[in-house]
Amino acid sequence: MGDLTRVTIDFDTSHLIFPTLIACVLGLLGLAVLIRDRARIAATVPYWRGLFAAMDKVRFLGALVLTLLYFSLMVPVGNIWPNTGMGFLLCSIPYLLATGLLFMHERPLRQVLPLLIVAVFGPVFVWWLFTYPLFLSLP
Amino acid sequence: MNITRRTLLAAASAVALLAQPMIAQAQDLPRNMRLVIGSKSTGGDTYQASAMVADALSEKLGINIKVDAVGSSEAFKVLSRDKRGTTIMMFHDQAYLGHLYGVTGYDDIFANYNIGPTVAINPGNAYLVPADSPYQSMDDILQAAADGTRVRVAIQPGGVSEIGFSAMKNAAKVMNPGSEENIVAVNTGSQSDKNQAMWDDLADVINGSIQGNEQFTQLPADDEKAMRFVWITARPETLEQAPEAGMGGTSRDEMLKHASPETSVTLDGNEDFTFDKEFFMLFNKDMDPAISEAIDAALTEIYDAGDIQTRQKEAFFIPNFLPSDEAKAHLQAKRDTYGKVIEQISQGN
Amino acid sequence: MLEIITPLFLSLIVGGTLVGIIFGAIPGMTATMAVAVCLPLTYSLGLENGLALLLGLYVGGISGGLVPAILLGIPGTPSSITTTFDGYPMAQRGEGEKALRIGIVSSFVGGIISLIVLWLFAPTLADFAIKFSYVEKFLIIFFAMTVMAALSSDMLMGVFSGVLGVFVSLIGTYDISNGGNGELRLIPPGTEYWLESGFSLLPVLIGLFGLAAILEQAEIGVPKGHSAKDLQVGPKSTFSFAIIARNTFNLIRSSLIGTFVGILPGVGGSAASIIAYTNAKTFSKTPENFGKGEPAGIVASESGNNGLTGGALVPLLSLGIPGDSTTALLIGAFTLQGIQVGPLFIGNNPVTWDAMIVAMLIANVAMFVMMYFAIRYFALVVTIPKHILFPVILMMCVIGAYTINYGIMFDVWTLLIFGVFGWLAGKIGIEIAPFIIGFILGPSAEVYFVKSLESFGDLTIFFTKSWIAVVLWLLIVGSVAGSVLMARKQRRMSE
Repeated sequence: MGDLTRVTIDFDTSHLIFPTLIACVLGLLGLAVLIRDRARIAATVPYWRGLFAAMDKVRFLGALVLTLLYFSLMVPVGNIWPNTGMGFLLCSIPYLLATGLLFMHERPLRQVLPLLIVAVFGPVFVWWLFTYPLFLSLP
Repeated sequence: MNITRRTLLAAASAVALLAQPMIAQAQDLPRNMRLVIGSKSTGGDTYQASAMVADALSEKLGINIKVDAVGSSEAFKVLSRDKRGTTIMMFHDQAYLGHLYGVTGYDDIFANYNIGPTVAINPGNAYLVPADSPYQSMDDILQAAADGTRVRVAIQPGGVSEIGFSAMKNAAKVMNPGSEENIVAVNTGSQSDKNQAMWDDLADVINGSIQGNEQFTQLPADDEKAMRFVWITARPETLEQAPEAGMGGTSRDEMLKHASPETSVTLDGNEDFTFDKEFFMLFNKDMDPAISEAIDAALTEIYDAGDIQTRQKEAFFIPNFLPSDEAKAHLQAKRDTYGKVIEQISQGN
Repeated sequence: MLEIITPLFLSLIVGGTLVGIIFGAIPGMTATMAVAVCLPLTYSLGLENGLALLLGLYVGGISGGLVPAILLGIPGTPSSITTTFDGYPMAQRGEGEKALRIGIVSSFVGGIISLIVLWLFAPTLADFAIKFSYVEKFLIIFFAMTVMAALSSDMLMGVFSGVLGVFVSLIGTYDISNGGNGELRLIPPGTEYWLESGFSLLPVLIGLFGLAAILEQAEIGVPKGHSAKDLQVGPKSTFSFAIIARNTFNLIRSSLIGTFVGILPGVGGSAASIIAYTNAKTFSKTPENFGKGEPAGIVASESGNNGLTGGALVPLLSLGIPGDSTTALLIGAFTLQGIQVGPLFIGNNPVTWDAMIVAMLIANVAMFVMMYFAIRYFALVVTIPKHILFPVILMMCVIGAYTINYGIMFDVWTLLIFGVFGWLAGKIGIEIAPFIIGFILGPSAEVYFVKSLESFGDLTIFFTKSWIAVVLWLLIVGSVAGSVLMARKQRRMSE
């Protein structure tokens, strides 16, 4: 075997060895996928067009946008009362309610009421649990 | 969607109502403080030292202080964002050592933050050899290096674990210039990796701690896991404050044998190198000085009362309260000394 | 001995187990978190009582994860990932109750077997564990990775996804505390501020399994009805102990594997169930059923992850080194009381040692009783209308992501990034199961691979290090050959 299998690792650049190796393997596998599935990949545009047409756009994009808003507002709102978890509490209640209403098909009061109760008491309970007994930080 | 907007409006008016009392108290101290620490572990020494201080401070000041183990890079980020003093940080010597060693994510704490009080020392930093090692002492190790034997030392690079290793190299250079080349680092991670490096015969000396490795020094010599202390880096005056019984089967007197002056790793030919891992607070540069003054004053009272010292000693910490100003001067002097050591040994490489 | 078993001691164990199960069952909350938040309480409780609470939390937390894994397809804790592979398909075809019972019985057996091992062999096993150097640890991780090929419905895409998972896990710094050099890599310019520490496992996990699944539901308009079919159908699919009896060998083997993986410091908690699952599949007569609702898969996964509980205490109590992230916190409980853990712990503290064994035993029994008889209540989860269940799950995912590292907002964004990625992956054929396995195992694979070469300087070391390495290679070859044969057989059947 001798010299062929010897390797010296320089500690200062050792952070690149494994990523390089994995990138090479990933590249080869990616190439194999490209070659094997070329027909499917060529049909990407029509595939996505079809997917998009079949999608429930309001619910899907609505859920995404609401989640994005929820995450973006939590910290700024929380910063008004630092380290109290208010950002979480004040953003979660409307978020739960809005996504719940979005996911609902009919919105009679009989169905909205339980959602409203969960949307208010769920976050309040979690907030209380984390702030007092568990003593963990919330945004 | 109407409901959302209305709720947000309601929330906004609640803001206005709630904000009133908050502002009133903010002139004094924030009601809810977050003490972020430079460690991600809630079972480690940084967390314990911080939790003891946070408990005492909350009680004394009548505010809430939450200790969050977010880790060093996140802790520094959060601290530099928060100018209101609602976030403060606790860390140890790693804070400036990381910068001295050029580790990613560490900058100059003395320039970018305000240094708060020191609160405790973990005196445990130590170096160990296998029980059957030919090296009986640090002198043997330095002599071996001088004689041209390679001595491999397992450390976690870039901070507290490396500083003693740098000091060994520096001592070798002071005593026999050129021999420092024979003291080489084996870069490992956790304590378990360092122990394993010894058992796999990848290292002749390992960095460890009194707390974590003492029991291995009490094993019968024929146990393959048995170890011996060769060096405890703490200052003798620090170790003298440890409980007389020491830890486990190692008494304080035995510990002192492995520390300066009995075990000498020289700094410059005259003085010995010593290293204490000290826990101290860091504040945002723009934080209201009234807050740090309040913390200093509260801690002075807490340490005068004396209960916290008992608690710290139970968990093998050495109480070491210095108010912010003294702490800053003390830590800066430490940083300068260690900076020189690191500079010395990197010259000519 | 008897004087430590007080009513307080017992109620702390039972209470701890209950709280642990709840933490485990909520996606995003983990056993580690449960132990972390209760750690400060132990100071006032005293050592034995404190440990009773923490061990109850530990056993409960590891076990609770199977509930959402089976009923919702979202692993409650990282160690129950492999439970979703077979548990969720079973729940979807109406065998949720059966799957839960299999999981709970397997958890109990795994916990008890590992406890026996801990009690009888702790010091001996610790001496054996230190024979595992970087090389053997790398091979163990490599063996666990071979399951990626077997778990995928399309082998090429599956392996690609798994390697992609490894690649993504390497983003960030080469962690100094694991032995790396602290340098950044694979970070797009401009994102260093956020990506310095890479992506955390838990947010990635709940993004891929939780948020992505909800996005898929939103895409098809959140059809009315329950998230799984009614829990029991027909006498044919009810649970009987015959299923367990048929899996006796699997059960014992998986428990022992879980225990052993727990003993090896640095191999990690989630790896235990993955390795047990890989093994079960490699030696199964019907490997093609794995991933489609095979009870043996649940047996392997759950006995493996509960086997971990006793195993991870072995290095803690006989070397002073934690076997996983939860036991790392237990060290804190000891040092707070001024008790050293190390090779002399058991000999020096016989009362504490006995108390721990008794506490673990009671915690396992309590876990079994509570979970077995609470199945009907767990089942209520799937009767909650989706428009209420999904928003609540999303909120819990956010809390879990935010609190896992004690308040880091980027972890919440990670959840969203991987939620969207998980949804996209389903469309373009990237398989989530191998991806997450690659992601979990990637960092340890890197450290042990690079450190093996750094320390020994020769590629042949992987074959020549020890007889343990040779055995591991045999397992690796067996697992790969098994997957290839299976793929060929399936292709022939479909032709």
